[in-house]
Amino acid sequence: MIRRLLQVDFMKMKRKGFWFLTFLGPFGVVALQMVNYGLRKDYLLQQSEDNWGHYLGNITVFTPLALVLGIVILTSFIASVENETNAWKQLLALPVSKLSVYLSKFTVLAGLLFVSSILLAVFTLSFGIFLNLGEQIPWIELLKDSFYPFFAGLPVLALHLWIATVSTNQGIPITVGVLGTILTYSSYVLPDWVIWKWPSLNNGWNEPVINVWLGIGIGLLLYIGGMLDFARRDVK
Amino acid sequence: MNYMVETKGLSKRFGNETAVKNLELKIPKGEVYGFLGPNGAGKTTTIRMLLGLMKPTSGSIHIFNQDLTKEKISILKKVGSLVENPSYYPHLTAYENLEALRKILGVPKKRIYEVLETVRLTDVAHKKVKGYSLGMKQRLVIAASLLNEPQLLILDEPTNGLDPSGIIEIRDLIKRLPSEYGMTVLISSHLLSEIDQIATSVGIISRGKMIFQDTIETMREHAQIKISLKSSNSHRAYQSLLTKGKQVDYKDGLIYLDDQSDEDVAEVVNSLVHDGFSIYRVEEEKRSLEDIFLQMTSKEDVK
Repeated sequence: MIRRLLQVDFMKMKRKGFWFLTFLGPFGVVALQMVNYGLRKDYLLQQSEDNWGHYLGNITVFTPLALVLGIVILTSFIASVENETNAWKQLLALPVSKLSVYLSKFTVLAGLLFVSSILLAVFTLSFGIFLNLGEQIPWIELLKDSFYPFFAGLPVLALHLWIATVSTNQGIPITVGVLGTILTYSSYVLPDWVIWKWPSLNNGWNEPVINVWLGIGIGLLLYIGGMLDFARRDVK
Repeated sequence: MNYMVETKGLSKRFGNETAVKNLELKIPKGEVYGFLGPNGAGKTTTIRMLLGLMKPTSGSIHIFNQDLTKEKISILKKVGSLVENPSYYPHLTAYENLEALRKILGVPKKRIYEVLETVRLTDVAHKKVKGYSLGMKQRLVIAASLLNEPQLLILDEPTNGLDPSGIIEIRDLIKRLPSEYGMTVLISSHLLSEIDQIATSVGIISRGKMIFQDTIETMREHAQIKISLKSSNSHRAYQSLLTKGKQVDYKDGLIYLDDQSDEDVAEVVNSLVHDGFSIYRVEEEKRSLEDIFLQMTSKEDVK
């Protein structure tokens, strides 16, 4: 059943610009560095011995922001597909469990964001090679910088999906989204427990992988909580 | 008796407000059950509970003799539904809309073409629903409700937004369903005239309570016949009848007879003619179901 629901959810995304956004996020992040390196490549290359490391560092400044923005926009998009003519009532009067409907939506979103992460790795690598940053490509760092934020951002995704599916007023998810984006932007000054800080991979232990495990663990908890609440509620 | 749908003590409260109260819905197999009530009487709430979209505050729902809370998915496989305003995905075509539902229902692809043909949308099947008229959208969701060849079809105000020819078309379609496909149909409406022409059973709900539930024939029996009489100098005629001990009423220049046997009517006419009044008209006035409906629901309001 979940396979069929996924097919249906992908079908409903047609002509809605989901794939374009999935592409736009990682492209935007790298495009900013295209501008940056395009304008002052020589200066930037002087900054550090480790050109690749410096370049990856520049990329990761914007990754969390793009990720959180992507989560906010994609979740509200996917909810709007059902909210527009209140198709929830039609969908949930079909012989499906509410739990699998919710799981399908989450899987689609996580899938799109994962594709974004892959694209981010590809774009980062391609532009890095184009810049001729050196023979020694730091593969591990590149993959970490591309995929760690995705896992660290899962709690934000779970929270947003829940808010977007249960609010009758779509102003609420948008407000939370704007606040979340601001929090992500100011993640340096936030305490470690704020989930919007996690995609930046900063923490008191200087150990990015902690954010990944926290993201998966807390993300799972928030997902289960949201799913159970969605199932418990009367359909709009 | 075996009911397709049977609720016991079904109630739903929203905060302090009771939307549905102790509803005992009984729908026999093969009937077109008209579910009537004024706006806000609790029809949609009841239907949402029947489809598992809302959880009852108390009471039980059995569909196909199965408990809805325990066997929701197996029940819903055999139910088609349309709840309130049409739901669809405007950015998809009619075909894609139906395909999205078909995949979940797991019925063969040819059903899409069959139901599109049934509601006559075949020509526009590959156009985006965004550009459809309200009537076309309504027909699309009716098509969607037929996709899985349901044994029970639940339609909430299905003729909303349709033009007269569309209404007749849908009405004819609904009438055919029980005999041709063995479906049982629950159709809700606030318009009695609509139900009157298709339903075989009716339930009337007012303020969340069922105030009448029986066959439509039984309901028609409530439609009393009245004889009205117009004569010269009606008021004098009325008084002369009263003095002769006849059971009559007078209203707006017309005399109404309470006794309605042929003999009584003849006797009254005879006595008036005898007293020199000219009789212009003797008419039979049948109270329409509409009147009964209004009377039933307004009686509830007074309480």
